[in-house]
Amino acid sequence: MKVLVPVKRVIDYNVKVRVKADQTGVELANVKMSMNPFDEIAIEEAIRMKEAGKAEEVIAVSIGPQQAQETIRTALAMGADRGVHVLHDGVVEPLAVAKMLKAIVEKEGPTVVILGKQAIDDDCNQTGQMLSALLGWSQATFASKIEVGDGELTVTREVDAGLETIKVKTPAIVTTDLRLNEPRYASLPNIMKAKKKPIEAMSPADLGVDPTPRLATLKVVEPAKRAGGVKVADVAELVSKLKNEAKVI
Amino acid sequence: MDFSIDHETRLLLETVKRFVKTELQPLEADLDRSGTLPPETARAIFEKSKALGLYGMNMPAKLGGAGLNAVDMCLVEEQTGQTSDILVRRAFGNVYEVLLACDGARIARWLLPAVTGERVCSIAITEPGAGSDAAGIKTQARRDGDGWRLNGQKHFISDGEFSDFFVVSAVTDPDAGARGISLFLVDKQTPGFTVGRNQPMMGLRGTSHVELFFEDVALGSENLLGAEGRGLRLALETLGRIRLAHIGARSVGMAARILGLMTEHARARRQFGQPIGDFQMIQSMLADSAIEINAARLMILNTAWEIDQGLDPREKISMAKTYGAETYCRVADRAVQLFGGLGYCQDLPIERFYRDSRITRIYDGTSEIHRTVIARGLLKDGPDFIARH
Repeated sequence: MKVLVPVKRVIDYNVKVRVKADQTGVELANVKMSMNPFDEIAIEEAIRMKEAGKAEEVIAVSIGPQQAQETIRTALAMGADRGVHVLHDGVVEPLAVAKMLKAIVEKEGPTVVILGKQAIDDDCNQTGQMLSALLGWSQATFASKIEVGDGELTVTREVDAGLETIKVKTPAIVTTDLRLNEPRYASLPNIMKAKKKPIEAMSPADLGVDPTPRLATLKVVEPAKRAGGVKVADVAELVSKLKNEAKVI
Repeated sequence: MDFSIDHETRLLLETVKRFVKTELQPLEADLDRSGTLPPETARAIFEKSKALGLYGMNMPAKLGGAGLNAVDMCLVEEQTGQTSDILVRRAFGNVYEVLLACDGARIARWLLPAVTGERVCSIAITEPGAGSDAAGIKTQARRDGDGWRLNGQKHFISDGEFSDFFVVSAVTDPDAGARGISLFLVDKQTPGFTVGRNQPMMGLRGTSHVELFFEDVALGSENLLGAEGRGLRLALETLGRIRLAHIGARSVGMAARILGLMTEHARARRQFGQPIGDFQMIQSMLADSAIEINAARLMILNTAWEIDQGLDPREKISMAKTYGAETYCRVADRAVQLFGGLGYCQDLPIERFYRDSRITRIYDGTSEIHRTVIARGLLKDGPDFIARH
């Protein structure tokens, strides 16, 4: 089976993000960019499926600017076989991404698509679910364990109450949670090999998708600074403050 | 002038950085305390690194190395330098480029096993009576039929306890001065060759530094490395690049790690009701460290670039080695000061960095010898080499 893994180029998780002075977004100039950590986990899982003989090919897909190719190369250096790059500058929203991925899925015919549960930049947590709906495939989100069976996957999911284990029929969509695996180091030989692996380039138009955003960002602001706490003398003062200042009771 | 680093190199740096941080740095404290790296730990880090293709990265690809150029190698060494010497040796290998002078049967016997890490090599030039004056050695190799008889003594030979073979300098023509010195490949188990005691050091705990004794050691013609009488030249030609990477780049790497800790501490430590980073004298320590690290780094990378262009930047190697080492020492010293009592206390790694830093101004050519090289270059050819174009 083929496994398709979408990978997103995001601000590195170590970077302290700053809001742009004009409040239109966050500062991207001189900022280190990396693969979304949940997507790294997705790539790792796909490569493990291949190493276990359960998958024949791992395809990494990225939608984004020219530099998104680097994100694909990172996936190739970890062990993915080939890449698909949909060149697009500017914002793409989850629905547009899901539509483009649907077109790529129809072209490539994977049995499983593994996505990060969310990207750490916009934290949408929508693309996997939308793709599942558009394709009419089963979905298993927030996976912390995946077992590949015959025509089905057994997936352990991290839910509020604990762990839930479900069986889904393939083809299926899986989204990864943090504890699914620990992504590997790209080894030096694999980094060298990645240079020679093919990346197919295309545009949203080639996939018949209009990526124009449907949402307008009004402004982006820093979270309010946490104000220092105050000590109250007694219960009466506390109740009075909650009632009159905080107005919560 | 393009200072960008290509994506493959960045990926490699990420891998090395993560390896150093997760696999090696956690071993440092125990290693420093006990003074020894358990053989099973040494084996484990070697195997992990080897599986990632990170052993012997400076060696040519056709021999099984990574074939990194000097610039990339220096960038990698900035990362490897951020941990203890012996961990770098076991994980990544100090595979000396002088071994590339191996030819014929020497390739299979010494060069290839050194590249794979199957056999480890130390360089043995220093003697009790010959440190900076490498031409003043007393160890002698006399012709004996087709081969040689080796007699003499070496000391301070880094990693000698662990190494399987040694590149040993010896006088082959006592009347020819520096041109009468040759290099020999000497296996540890050769009869007449004994490894003496480990000479305990101020820092670099875990790395052995040993005495070597040669008593009428019988060597064959195959033990000679390079041409007879060309030993010192061969050593100087090939150790330059190593010096730049092992001392210069690793020093910059460690200095940067220390500056990271200093910065964190300056933000978190509060005295007189404010973070100590608010005090200008602390800021001055931080800023001077950053300036010097940046300068040393650019010096090293520029020198490496000249090596990759096929130039012979020997004075620049001396500048980069000296400035890198002295920067590391100054930064480590400031770190002790900035951390105060905590910096002097063995509960934190700062005092270890301070001890480890000190040798960099001494080994691989003292700061004084390198300044002599720079001054001689200036007096002979003028200052044009500084801004070659």
